[in-house]
Amino acid sequence: MAPQTRKAAIVGGNRIPFARSNSAYAQASNQDMLTATLDGLVARFGLQGERVGEVVAGAVLKHARDFNLTREAVLGSRLSAATPAYDVQQACGTGLEAAILVANKIALGQVESGIAGGVDTTSDAPLAIHDEMRRVLIALNGARTLQDRLKVLARIRPGMVVPEAPRNAEPRTGLSMGEHQAITAREWQVGREAQDELTVRSHRNLAAAYDRGFFDDLVTPFLGLTRDENLRPDTSVEKLARLAPVFGTGEGATMTAGNSTPLSDGASAVLLASDEWAAAKGLPVLAHLVDAQTAAVDYVHGGEGLLMAPAYAVPVLLARNGLTLQDFDFYEVHEAFASTVLATLKAWEDPGFCKERLGLDAPLGAIDRARLNVNGSSLAAGHPFAATGGRIVASLAKQLHEAGPGKRGLISICAAGGQGVVAILES
Amino acid sequence: MTRVELTETPSMRALFARAAVTARGRGGDLPDTRLTRTGVPVDPAQLAAYDRVCSFPLADTLPPTYPHVLAFPLQLALMSDRSFPLALPGLVHVRNRVDVLRAVRADEALDLEVWAERFARHPRGATVDLCASVSAGGAEVWRSRSTYLARGATAPEGAPGSDLSVSVGELARPVATWRVPDDAGRRYARVSGDVNPIHLSGLTAKAFGFKRAIAHGMWVKARALAALTGRLPDAMVVDVVFRKPLFLPSTVTLSTAPADGGWDLAVRNATTGADHLLGTVRPL
Repeated sequence: MAPQTRKAAIVGGNRIPFARSNSAYAQASNQDMLTATLDGLVARFGLQGERVGEVVAGAVLKHARDFNLTREAVLGSRLSAATPAYDVQQACGTGLEAAILVANKIALGQVESGIAGGVDTTSDAPLAIHDEMRRVLIALNGARTLQDRLKVLARIRPGMVVPEAPRNAEPRTGLSMGEHQAITAREWQVGREAQDELTVRSHRNLAAAYDRGFFDDLVTPFLGLTRDENLRPDTSVEKLARLAPVFGTGEGATMTAGNSTPLSDGASAVLLASDEWAAAKGLPVLAHLVDAQTAAVDYVHGGEGLLMAPAYAVPVLLARNGLTLQDFDFYEVHEAFASTVLATLKAWEDPGFCKERLGLDAPLGAIDRARLNVNGSSLAAGHPFAATGGRIVASLAKQLHEAGPGKRGLISICAAGGQGVVAILES
Repeated sequence: MTRVELTETPSMRALFARAAVTARGRGGDLPDTRLTRTGVPVDPAQLAAYDRVCSFPLADTLPPTYPHVLAFPLQLALMSDRSFPLALPGLVHVRNRVDVLRAVRADEALDLEVWAERFARHPRGATVDLCASVSAGGAEVWRSRSTYLARGATAPEGAPGSDLSVSVGELARPVATWRVPDDAGRRYARVSGDVNPIHLSGLTAKAFGFKRAIAHGMWVKARALAALTGRLPDAMVVDVVFRKPLFLPSTVTLSTAPADGGWDLAVRNATTGADHLLGTVRPL
């Protein structure tokens, strides 16, 4: 049976202000933040005791005890305990992927409503015991006699007691994400000044959005924070120019702590539904999730940049929907690093890249920069990995709704592992 | 009635010590002193530690039992003072009622007032209620009544009988099993400041007639309410009685059942089925 499909509506969202690592949310766990965020969404849309179709969320940095993180958060929230939930994880694409999964079930009529979210903490991060120590302890558990146990214990060496902290590094290359991006920035000749300018715009746009009350129904204060802690409304290209590069080496190093996203803590959630469900509850429809696409690149042996996968996903999405890159009123390109955004835009303008890598006859072309990240993005807000997708989906849906019916927005998010998740929203 | 305002939290170790050395020779009626503190802020780090030990999520509203931690030092100051008729060592917490008049935010400055009342007769001695009232912005937001039993003590002539009855439904089905470790008392002592020796170690508990260390009643109550996070009314009365001491370590069960818009609760020994806590949650 070919199922009838329908477009999932984005009803609204909620997030907590994003905090810098080891700051306002230092004591908060992923579960604390996700629960608070769900409860904020419940309060905003009158969902107390409600059984929504499904709650889908995830975290990138996750404790082993949090294997059922989202379901546990649901059980601690004011949603009905009969609300099913599951976890997803696609690195920084987690939040958007969660929204796509919920939207697809709504599109197929399998659920009428759902919540997509994500959360991450770099403060309350899991520490793993030294891998050799882990093997010793497992062997110890299996040892039957005292003699066996003593033999196993004798394998312990002093160095093994040092725990292993999670690293922001690709397992196959040993390079951090910033180091990878520094290679891409150099390849695409993304200049320092252009990166700093993009960074300043992100801060100014986010500050302006707060000032005009844009986030009043998107953000709920948490643990004393009312705005994103990383936001620097008064930053400037001059101030940013003073920062020393932190990624890359030598003359060509352009990436600083200012034009890269900081480690951060936070959570976000988006309420999606069928139009009928929203209407029956008297809730608004801000936009619909029209279509989505993922892509991945071989950044290990294939010579492509770690964060360039969205450049590949977008043309596939455009072709399927009969659109050009210029057919959008707003663009949300996740600012993992300022140079990621700029390299991606350059790639779409580059005839060689578009022909050889994307297999296109003509380049996708330039976009109107005035439509890019109009309410700020990750450079200013911070980037708690899995929470970024939900932040972007809810903000873009509201922006499209404010602009009026028939407006279209493109979301592009890069992720570790050489992956990209992109989507189209329409009001 | 005299009202005495304290300007800082008294040291509870010192109060326990003072109560121990001045235990003998007490008697008479309850003092009519009220101890107060004003504008007490909640320390976010202490709250986070309390949340972790009691299994509450870290949130912007205080757990329903948290104001007790703020008021308890004042109650201890009252009880350890020579004017208090009962010896602190040996007092057992047998009932606790908390009224949450509204959700209290963690960033509100709180005014505390504590006093003692209801000196009452009990078949095994006498009971006394230590009360607390917590206000924010001039309005009461939380109050509590902790009933303590002094075994072998005598209530004054004409004192009423003590009321330790909380009635709950059948509660046949356990919903959760907790393994309560032997350091549960020490962990709660660290976050609450309640360093009563009966909770800290087997040795110190034996000195006061308990075979092993026992869990704090307020920890058991908090842990039970934490299990109902997201399912509690914003304004409510939580009234519990503490029955058999919860010896550490123990495995216990929590039973819950919806009742009158709230809940009935029981925490019982997993092996013997003996009641440690019975209680009710009702919306206000």
